[in-house]
Amino acid sequence: MVRLLSNTKTVFIALLTLVFIGGCEKSFLDIDPPFTQDAENYFSTADDYEQALIGAYDLLQASYLTVWIGEIASDNSIAGGESVTDSKGLHEIDKMSHGGVNSELQSVFRWNYAGIARCNYLLEAKDDIEFDGKSSVVAQAKFLRAYYYFELVKFFGDVPLIIDQRVGPDGAAAIGRTPKTEVYEQIEQDLLDASADLDWTVIVKGRVSKGAALALLGKVYLYQDKFSDAATALGQVIGSGNYSLIANYNELFSVANEGHSETVFDVEFSGLEGGSYSCLICLEGNAAPGFHGIRQYNGPVYGDGNSYNLPTKDLYDFFSGADIRRSASLLDIDAFIDAQPNAASITYAEGGGGHTGYYNNKYIKRIGEVGLPDNDLTSPVNYRVIRYSDVLLMAAEAHNRNGDDGTALTYLNEVRARVSLSSVTSGGSSLTEDIWNERRFELSGEGFRFFDLVRTGQAVAKIDGFVAGKHEVFPIPQVEIDLAGGSWEQNPNY
Amino acid sequence: MKHKLTLFLFIYLLGSVCFAQTRVVSGTVLDENGETIPFANVNVVGTIIGTTTDINGKYSITAPSDVSAALKYSFIGFMPQEVPIEARTTIDITLFPSVESLDELVVVGYGSSTKKELTGATTKVLGDKIERINIPRIDQALQGQVSGVSINTNSGSPGGSSSIRIRGLSTFGDNDPLILVDGIVYDSEGLNALNPADIESINVLKDATAGIYGVRAANGVIIIETKKGVKNSKPILSVDYYYGLQQPANKLNLLNATEYAVIKNEMFANGGENIAFNNTQIGEGTNWQDTIFQNAPMQNININLTGGSKTSKYSIGGSFFTQDGIVGGPKANFSRYNARINFSTDMTDKLTLNNVMLFTHEERSTLPENGIGSVLYNTINAFPNAPVKTGDDNYSYMEEVSDIINPVAQIENTFNGSMVDKVVGKEEFVYKINNNFTLTNRISYNYALVDVKSFSPLAWFGAGKAQNSAINANLDPSLVEIGDSVFIERGAGVYEARTSYLDLNYEGFFNYEQAIDENQTIKATLGTSVFKRRGENLSGSAFNIPNNSVEYADISANLAPGGFLNNTGSYEFEERLFSTFLRAEYNYKYRYLFSAIIRRDGSSKFGPSSKYGFFPTASAAWVLSDEGFFNFAPITFAKIRASYGVSGNDQISNFAYRALLNGEGVYVFNDVIVNGVAIGRSSNPDLKWETTRQLNVGADLNLYGSFDITVNYFIKNTFDLLFQPDVSALIGSYGPGGSPPIINAGDVSNQGLEVELSYNSDPKKPFVFGTNFNFTALKNIVKSTPEGVDFLPGASFSVGGNVATRFEEGFAIGYFHGYETNGVFQSQAAIDAAEVTQEGAKPGDLVFVDQDGDGIINFNDNSDKTDIGSPIPDFTIGTVLNSSYREFDLSINLYAAIGQEIIRNYERQQPYANQLDYVINRWVGEGTSTENPMVTTGATRSNEFSDFFVEDGSFLRIKNIQLGFTVPKKISKKFKVQSVRVYLASNNLYTLTRYQGFDPDIGSNGNALSAGVDYGFYPQARNFMAGINLKF
Repeated sequence: MVRLLSNTKTVFIALLTLVFIGGCEKSFLDIDPPFTQDAENYFSTADDYEQALIGAYDLLQASYLTVWIGEIASDNSIAGGESVTDSKGLHEIDKMSHGGVNSELQSVFRWNYAGIARCNYLLEAKDDIEFDGKSSVVAQAKFLRAYYYFELVKFFGDVPLIIDQRVGPDGAAAIGRTPKTEVYEQIEQDLLDASADLDWTVIVKGRVSKGAALALLGKVYLYQDKFSDAATALGQVIGSGNYSLIANYNELFSVANEGHSETVFDVEFSGLEGGSYSCLICLEGNAAPGFHGIRQYNGPVYGDGNSYNLPTKDLYDFFSGADIRRSASLLDIDAFIDAQPNAASITYAEGGGGHTGYYNNKYIKRIGEVGLPDNDLTSPVNYRVIRYSDVLLMAAEAHNRNGDDGTALTYLNEVRARVSLSSVTSGGSSLTEDIWNERRFELSGEGFRFFDLVRTGQAVAKIDGFVAGKHEVFPIPQVEIDLAGGSWEQNPNY
Repeated sequence: MKHKLTLFLFIYLLGSVCFAQTRVVSGTVLDENGETIPFANVNVVGTIIGTTTDINGKYSITAPSDVSAALKYSFIGFMPQEVPIEARTTIDITLFPSVESLDELVVVGYGSSTKKELTGATTKVLGDKIERINIPRIDQALQGQVSGVSINTNSGSPGGSSSIRIRGLSTFGDNDPLILVDGIVYDSEGLNALNPADIESINVLKDATAGIYGVRAANGVIIIETKKGVKNSKPILSVDYYYGLQQPANKLNLLNATEYAVIKNEMFANGGENIAFNNTQIGEGTNWQDTIFQNAPMQNININLTGGSKTSKYSIGGSFFTQDGIVGGPKANFSRYNARINFSTDMTDKLTLNNVMLFTHEERSTLPENGIGSVLYNTINAFPNAPVKTGDDNYSYMEEVSDIINPVAQIENTFNGSMVDKVVGKEEFVYKINNNFTLTNRISYNYALVDVKSFSPLAWFGAGKAQNSAINANLDPSLVEIGDSVFIERGAGVYEARTSYLDLNYEGFFNYEQAIDENQTIKATLGTSVFKRRGENLSGSAFNIPNNSVEYADISANLAPGGFLNNTGSYEFEERLFSTFLRAEYNYKYRYLFSAIIRRDGSSKFGPSSKYGFFPTASAAWVLSDEGFFNFAPITFAKIRASYGVSGNDQISNFAYRALLNGEGVYVFNDVIVNGVAIGRSSNPDLKWETTRQLNVGADLNLYGSFDITVNYFIKNTFDLLFQPDVSALIGSYGPGGSPPIINAGDVSNQGLEVELSYNSDPKKPFVFGTNFNFTALKNIVKSTPEGVDFLPGASFSVGGNVATRFEEGFAIGYFHGYETNGVFQSQAAIDAAEVTQEGAKPGDLVFVDQDGDGIINFNDNSDKTDIGSPIPDFTIGTVLNSSYREFDLSINLYAAIGQEIIRNYERQQPYANQLDYVINRWVGEGTSTENPMVTTGATRSNEFSDFFVEDGSFLRIKNIQLGFTVPKKISKKFKVQSVRVYLASNNLYTLTRYQGFDPDIGSNGNALSAGVDYGFYPQARNFMAGINLKF
């Protein structure tokens, strides 16, 4: 009995001990991750906004896909690469056989929405505190959001419009596709807001300027055939006097010349961070030049690469021999090698994904412009989103199609004069045609061609396999339709 | 003890009164090695007369003079023996260890049980079985020793790890079991720190009774006990040494230069291109495998001192082990220095201190392994017509394939080293409150400091190679723009990282045992555990190391101007666990046994709504053979068991339930990389552990006292798998560093049958034979995936992102998904006549099977792909055979895994890459081959992932064979040595398999969905060794 009693006592003490230890349990388990900020309740200082804004800029670096698809989908280039299954999605786009399963298009869709979510994360909190320079931060975020939505509208047409808020999985399923016109309205509003608060000159290379916002606004108007509005917006850029064409077309794309007077807006890249193929959107380098590089090339001037996005003979032949932009835009690889003193020792390989004999000479890996390993991925070459010559040509088109051929000719001929070509004197629809052709001469290889052809209704005539009423937009990635609850309608005829 | 002695004395006196006719018998009790056994029991058979041996193993007993009287000698861990006294007055006896004793202690977590009492499925492996086979890592040594435990080698390189899977894969996440060494948590990587010779026993808790470990028990629990010493024993010093020579067990049959030239010419011709070799008679060329494989030494010395006094026992040891790699030699070396003390002392009558401390220093060098760009991948694909060196200095470049580099140059330019210093220990106080209660309090710690240093010299492997760090063969450094048009050179680089890990664990528990009456006993365990793990990392890299030399490879030596290129990084993490547990056991006459466990865990890993979990388990057993009606002589013991319970798997990253600003928000302003913030993984406050519910039924039988059989059948269902399924792009999760939230969804089921048989012959006879045989059959199936997720893509095949493995409902985890082939198209007529249209098919192409029956082979979607294999064996078999005859002993360990497949993924499908010699039997025209397609550089679908690239991975391996000789006592005594054993052994002597790769025993690199994908992984070596065991 005594023993049983002593046992009961022991059990009691034991339980008491456990209860005592248990009392500290909650505070013991409630710990925060060391040195890491939580996403909620984040914005409390001006610097917090600035940091979030940098995060929003980051997705601009998805631009290499725009270069690829904007060219490969058009008559300007073929997909190329190691084999026909190397970036299969690009080969399908090349053949106009793309469908709802296409990893490149899926990346475009996902990354631009990631950019939008980052802008919205900041803009959602824009009224939380006041600080100096807030109007500029908000203006930059709005520009970026407009840029990302414009990419989406160009590629996919109607896309869900989310403004100033983040959505979770349930929220995503509740949002339908917003008609393109409404998305455009939001893009215009954001760009108008941005241009009102931004300065013409930026001290920090890479920041958005008022000129960038207005130029993009002009482009957005042009894509909607709002010629008068486009002419006005682009006219402000031209009239500002902040931009001019540089003398030598060949120097437009060199790293050393970045930030020249023709730069309206660049996506910035750096070679100072290494990279791997496992996450191309994580790169700080531009993936396009390395991928465009000459396959297994061993020789001077250029570095070796993956032979992607190869210009077509059609594009080469389109140029006259007198146009220096031909050699500046296209590298005729065999001719180049033959012209070298040690031609016999220079080698390269043709990729299994196709070979045209030409390489993209604007965005290409050059010796002296390589980043850290793997230097196929870490090119410091900026992507030129809007160059001043593009502004001039867009303005020319806007004026021409708005009935002012005189102004149009002035702008068009300014672009031609830079490359020592004679002035054009045409008018009306033949001038329109001349401007469109000039866009191809001036801007080939820069990722605009497919969207220009669609916008101007030339795509059916120029692109093999292009089906009117279908290929003007790319299909919404099927997985995105499914993940949003399956209620979105796929784009017609996909 | 005192009472017993009085009793014995009384009986003895009584005896002497009743039976005047007595005599005194005395002698010594020895073990099989001739050591004396103190405290062994000596009883007169059929009476209660008994005594124990003294410290020198001597006894003296008064026995009846009756001629039929016999003495029974017994001691725990040894087989009892009965000896008729006859007319002798002196009887010296040798006891032999019992291999499978029902009274043997089995560690079950916060306590121990006996084999007889167990209600769960637990297998014990004695340390000598691990030590004997001289395999450097415990996990590799455990392979094939326990049913239901599958162990695969992730890398055969020295210091490489294994994947340990108890009862199958239950998640595509972390499948590692909870590993406890003397109660201290180890991760499977940390097993390198242990010397197999220090192991006393390994207990594997396979079923729901592992639930005493709650949220960490779902993958099973492995409890390792290290050697502890014995009270009242003289110090024994043992010294063991072995030296081994390793060699590659298998080389691939690759094309030689002539075969290569002929086949490549044909390949180009078929592709409509110019042939590559005008002269194909170029001899054998370079055998790249011969250039990188080498014979490599390994050796181990192990010193252990063990013994005990009246109140304490100790085991003190130290060891040194070093092993070079068969690829890379010293550049794939693993060395371990290890010192250990286990000390236990009775501080008072009631209070015992157990102290365990282990210090380990490990050094390891590694080469790139198991992937594109690994040394072996390069070796397999290197061109046989290319010499190792062109001229005196330059390694050949093989520029035609950009991602194949010269493997010899690669080894020469690789300098990856890591060092681990580890201190692991435990201070445990066991207080015996009274006869019924024991209170145990212990604090354990596990501290590891991991230093990594890798040096990247300026190197040039040929144009277009991703591994180039120089810009040309002159090893000129690249120029890096650090500001607007400001360039600096970027020379040889060094990366250094230091990570520290500290686990602290307090555990306190009561053990209670009481006999209610003569038939019933209850036992209980009640306790609490508080666990904290913290880690910190600091890393940095620097460039322009002087002289491009590893000699100066240190961040401090960098010459980069202004430190512009230097880079630093750091992280910290912390996790905590708070648990309480209760186990209650009841038995009636040790015939009906019941046990129930409940554990409550609180974890910092989970969201506020799921921080705490309850994990209950119940089990029962019935010892049939103790029943009166059980009267079947051949069966000396029979028990049936059942258990059912719930446990959890908490192995996910910390704070996964929260959205943190740990995404990547990095951009470039003013040509400088600037860091901003971005949301990383999206949040899920409801996130919780994976839950496993397991049913086990089993039986234990003993036949004729020497033949043991254990059978288990289990159904193990895992729910709430931690998934990170795709979410809508609108959420914005797909930016750099971002990812969708982790959610609980998806179920997996494992069912299996395990059989263990063992037999031991009479150890008193000169020829002794014993065998252990175990068999495991397992069926793994994915029961469900989250809504809207058809499958989870796993490993990719070749280059370019063909997904080859999947996690999909209705299939095994990581099954292979691709095209099924049906021979080779023999002619255009056959293509035209085929009922199924195969786009682009040419004569000589593989014929694919139309799975969806729509009449065409669809290459744009998955509709014609199907299940073409699984990396999970249908069954595995392990066998150990031991025998000895007088001074000689021989043992053989066999392991077989049957019915798994392996993806041959080490062929770089590029025109110039070398190939296996099966292409010699390729299709070259109608009627030539129905298996191997034609070779071509042109577009062909034969390179799509199909069963052509899937091979049968079944194998039977002689893991260890060993012949030993124990020097007779008479001779060894002369040298003042108690015992000397010398042996010759071989590991991995022979493997019977049809697999064409280096080694079919291939793990998964940690990811369950990449199991069975062979990138030319580092194979296990075959070795031959000679060793000596000395005891002083």
